[in-house]
Amino acid sequence: MNFDPTVVLKYWSVLLQALGFSLALTLSCAILGMLLGFIISLARTSKNRPLYWTSTLFVEIFRGTPLLIQLFWIFFCVPIIFGLSLSPLVSVVISLVLFMGATSSESFRGALKSIPKEQMDACQALGIRSMNKTLFVILPQVLLRATPPLLSNSVALFKESALVSSVGIADLMFVGQSLSNRTARPVEFLTTIAIIYFVVAFPLTRIVGNIEARFIKRFAF
Amino acid sequence: MNYSSSFTYVFDNFDKLLQGLWITLQLTIAANIIGIVFGFLLSLLAISKFRLIRWPAQLYIEFFRCTPVLLQVIWFFYCLPIIFDIYLDPVPMGVLALGLNLMAFNAEAYRSGVQAIPREQLDACVALSLNPFQKNLYVILPQAFRIALPVLITNGISILQQSSLVAIVSVADLMYEGKLLATDSYRPFETYSIVALIYLAMALPIGQMVSWIERRQERTLHS
Repeated sequence: MNFDPTVVLKYWSVLLQALGFSLALTLSCAILGMLLGFIISLARTSKNRPLYWTSTLFVEIFRGTPLLIQLFWIFFCVPIIFGLSLSPLVSVVISLVLFMGATSSESFRGALKSIPKEQMDACQALGIRSMNKTLFVILPQVLLRATPPLLSNSVALFKESALVSSVGIADLMFVGQSLSNRTARPVEFLTTIAIIYFVVAFPLTRIVGNIEARFIKRFAF
Repeated sequence: MNYSSSFTYVFDNFDKLLQGLWITLQLTIAANIIGIVFGFLLSLLAISKFRLIRWPAQLYIEFFRCTPVLLQVIWFFYCLPIIFDIYLDPVPMGVLALGLNLMAFNAEAYRSGVQAIPREQLDACVALSLNPFQKNLYVILPQAFRIALPVLITNGISILQQSSLVAIVSVADLMYEGKLLATDSYRPFETYSIVALIYLAMALPIGQMVSWIERRQERTLHS
């Protein structure tokens, strides 16, 4: 075979643009998903039975099925059932947000569990209202402790976001694949986008490890 | 919401889905065997004293952990035949891609298990003059396996889910058959819901098993 990495160089601006899109998609879905995840994790600690069961069912469904089928389900089925016409981008954003919500709720739940029971008793003794308890006692601690797993969830979301290419959204994966088809040089292009994903994701995982090792342990434990 | 659903078409073609399910199970089980066996060997390489062994092993692990599985699958199907002149059937190729991926994730799980083994035991191995092979097989592996077990199973379930990605390169697994059925029947809602339920029915009990094992391990640690 003749391996010629220079063919990729001609398309670097297109690839860079696609990477920017992938990053923007990941970032916005990660933030929205974390908000959703925090609410779900609170719902899962609730004593209200229906609330508990719906939120648990939601998490189990979204963690127990492949993301690919979630994407397809929302892409093809929501328009039919609810009679809504969603643009492809909106439908993949919804899927990724729901997926991130389910995975990050587990990270929040782990952090919630690590808060000692005594603090809840203390809140009651001090007569702190449940709204204030959630906002000023629980949330700051949970955020600090959940930061490392949430960051790794976000890195995972960045990798999983490659799946949106399967419903025709022009992210890095999609652009790389179509370039490799057009130029008939799959080895060069697929390897290049693999390296691009790696170069973005790998430092982030290192940062997660560092935060875990230094910052969090000093402030939260 | 005035959609009338009809599951008859899906149930009439249920044997198609079952055929796909069989392929999915083959992919998952074979990939897990590769991942569990070679993941341990890879974890030993990744904590080796020699840089020339450690670095390539770590690079391998990080590369598979930091790139999308979809990209890995597509890379194997398109590039492996071109670069190495290897032509495999779709299912073995899928097993190879998923298995090599799982190896990297399992190696990380084993590594934390290996590092949890107290230093004294390794000294004891020297004192008892066990050779490295005996040390790894009889002292390290059983304990590392026990500690890593919950994560190994969790990784195994996620490979079940990631195995759906081979549908994109036209391997006739559960996802692929579901996609065909959805297009043929014009009933995506019914088909995809059933397919999702099948995946869920496999993942849920195994997930329960993991939390059961974790609870048992916590109890033995505290007692």
